[in-house]
Amino acid sequence: MASAHSLRSFMRPTVSTTPRSLARAFTTTPLQSAAQGKSSLPPQKQVQVSKKHKKPLVRAKAPNPGERKAFRKRIQLSNNSALEVQGTEDLQPDTMLKSEHAGKMFSIPNDMQDKLRTLEAFKTTQSWNLFRKPHILVRQDLVDLMNKLEAAKGNQEALRLVLTGTKLSGKSHALLQAMLYGMMNNWVVINIPEAQDLTNGNTEYTPVPETSDPYEFIQPVYCYKLLTSIYDANKSVLEGLKLQKDWSATTQQKGAGSLADLIQSAREPDWAWPTFMALWQELQLPGRPPVLFALDGLSHINKKSDYRDPEFNPVHAHDLVLVRTFVDALSGKTKLPNGGAVIAATSGNNRQLQPSQELVLSQLEAGQKGDEVPKPDPYEKGYDERVYDALKNSTVMRLEALSKADARVLMEYWGASGMLRRKIDQHTVWSDWALSGHGIVGELERTSLLTIKM
Amino acid sequence: MVFIMGVNFGEGRLVKKALESFYNLGPTSSSRIMAKFSIHKLAKCGSLNPRTVTSLTAELSQMTIDNDARKLMNDNIQRLRDIGSYRGRRHAMGYPVRGQKTQTQTSTASKLNRLPRRV
Repeated sequence: MASAHSLRSFMRPTVSTTPRSLARAFTTTPLQSAAQGKSSLPPQKQVQVSKKHKKPLVRAKAPNPGERKAFRKRIQLSNNSALEVQGTEDLQPDTMLKSEHAGKMFSIPNDMQDKLRTLEAFKTTQSWNLFRKPHILVRQDLVDLMNKLEAAKGNQEALRLVLTGTKLSGKSHALLQAMLYGMMNNWVVINIPEAQDLTNGNTEYTPVPETSDPYEFIQPVYCYKLLTSIYDANKSVLEGLKLQKDWSATTQQKGAGSLADLIQSAREPDWAWPTFMALWQELQLPGRPPVLFALDGLSHINKKSDYRDPEFNPVHAHDLVLVRTFVDALSGKTKLPNGGAVIAATSGNNRQLQPSQELVLSQLEAGQKGDEVPKPDPYEKGYDERVYDALKNSTVMRLEALSKADARVLMEYWGASGMLRRKIDQHTVWSDWALSGHGIVGELERTSLLTIKM
Repeated sequence: MVFIMGVNFGEGRLVKKALESFYNLGPTSSSRIMAKFSIHKLAKCGSLNPRTVTSLTAELSQMTIDNDARKLMNDNIQRLRDIGSYRGRRHAMGYPVRGQKTQTQTSTASKLNRLPRRV
């Protein structure tokens, strides 16, 4: 048997037998720079720095109160890095009425941009910030919508419409275009940009005096903000309209004046609601321009709100008087004798499940198509008669996906802006169109525009 | 600064937090009080009008909160002690009252259970 000593002779030597100078590792560093970087001396032991004498951590200045929110909510409508698109025209008042303009890009005039901004028609989720100037694609279904608006003006009756469609199908965008059309044609445009702001219990509320069972509530601060936006967006129209009634009993407006003066008389939130009511009633008198009343996020006003009445019962959103005004107009209870439109858009992502709303919209849609009308689910408990009544007289418009031709126009616009750096041919367009759920406009934007690494 | 029940609250303090700073007034009570006076959940003390502040103080003064609530609890414990019940004795000795083990983990009991009880 071999001893341990004899076996040890088979082991590999642990210390290299080659001289140190020859055992250099292979390197691609040039000799000169290698000599500069390293000394031939062995590395010295690092000196431990006492932790007590550490430099104090300098933090960046925290943003002031409100700055973060302002940054989150900011709307950027131009981008100097994007190329200017040649050959597109500014929108004219009648551009969106003509079928021959369907499938073309038009730019939004500068004065309208400011007005839309005050109405909060632009959303932070839309990609306005990528382009030199905001442009819109005039789609055929929106040409039809604008013609309905024009017809409503001619017939002196209200168009009561609910815009619906899948996520990212351009419902808020359609609302923006309707507002744009209204303002260019001297309508009075009133917009509630997010219905959830009214019902999520984050703005002040006070009960209407002498109401109980159910209590009704005014939202003075929101009404004041709404009045300000109405004034800023419709100033030129409202200044030309003289008051036909005396409102000195209920508002701060004493004596004659224009509707703009009436709005300006409400200098405090406490006066906002009576002034809004006065304005709303004045707009329904004969000889007034058509009114467009728009709201985004319909399902939020068709539920119980987060507010509580003095007995601690949840307040139905329709008991908030501002919401009630909109709902009455949408249901046809308030006629708009000068013509006009009441348009509500549903929201794809931020939506509340409201069975009555789903039911009535599906019934209306089926009725419009001539299909069999769906029946209520006998096992569903959450139906709400008030919601059903509010929506049953409206028309539903479902926004469809883009056609391939429209998708191509849009992608060519992105290409001309320098934002889409691919060759735009039939193959690219068709593949992106297919990837975007057969032309859902927001998905198309996601697949081709927002995936680019700059 | 806003005075509610003799306590001074800053303008930027949420009304809900201000109410809940009183002993024996929790989320349920504060929500009910706020609903009673139609104060929304993000309201700050600075935004309350003087009449609402007065009503709030009047409402709170009718409730058993703060020192009244503390005194009530101490009275209840004192009663247990006076009648010489087991619970009363455990309170007085600084031990857990409701049958918990005492070999370890009695720090909360030894901290709080004394006469008058710490609250």
